[in-house]
Amino acid sequence: MFNPVLEVARFLQDTSLRLELSQSTWTVPIIGAIHVLTIAWFGGSILVPNSQLRRFRWIGLAILLCTGFLLFWSQPLRLYYSQFFRAKVLLLVLISLCAFLPSRFARLGFWGSLVLWAGVILASRGIAYR
Amino acid sequence: MTFENSWLFPVIESIHVTGLAAFVGTIVLGDLHTLGAIPKVGPLTRWTHAGLAVMLATGAAMFFSDTSRYLHNPAFHVKFAILLVALAAHFTLRRRGTRFTAILSLILWSSVVVAARAIADFDV
Repeated sequence: MFNPVLEVARFLQDTSLRLELSQSTWTVPIIGAIHVLTIAWFGGSILVPNSQLRRFRWIGLAILLCTGFLLFWSQPLRLYYSQFFRAKVLLLVLISLCAFLPSRFARLGFWGSLVLWAGVILASRGIAYR
Repeated sequence: MTFENSWLFPVIESIHVTGLAAFVGTIVLGDLHTLGAIPKVGPLTRWTHAGLAVMLATGAAMFFSDTSRYLHNPAFHVKFAILLVALAAHFTLRRRGTRFTAILSLILWSSVVVAARAIADFDV
């Protein structure tokens, strides 16, 4: 059966950038450090339900996505088969769905996504182990 | 089964990172407000202190799960040294709320996070 996600992971696995990322001593640790640093940046901004922080929040999310994508690129096949990575992606999808809740569910959306973000961190740490 | 090999370690580590998001996250918000980059948000102190409590408890649990791992890890030495300075500055200098103390706080806490992340890279 044709599996588009697996095909993308295989394609990335065969790129020369993947080889460079996974063989370099400092690149992945540095990108990882920026990724974690941005969790702190982003985490604070979602705890405070203030619409004036919107731009601040989007910048954090953009950095998380860019560094996260590079980290994925450094070991695409391993992550594709990691149960924790799959859980993380699923949780991220659920969080993005929270954004589309009607405004009368705003409170539920706020607390729901906070819990889901905590789940994302839990799943992310798990990736390092399995 | 040692503590290190069980599912407990990753779980406690995750709670540590969740505490980080609350603790350093709210500090960053306060500092950026002091620097005029973002509007005033809050109240934040409750989240900051809750995050700190979570981080200290989970951090101590991880440290005592394998003291020799951390005592021989250069990244941990750096982290702990900067952490002490950062904590001291947080409860003294940062209260002044000047541009200088805000920048100092941002640099110190970022360094703690980066050094902490490096502990995994410097395992002997």
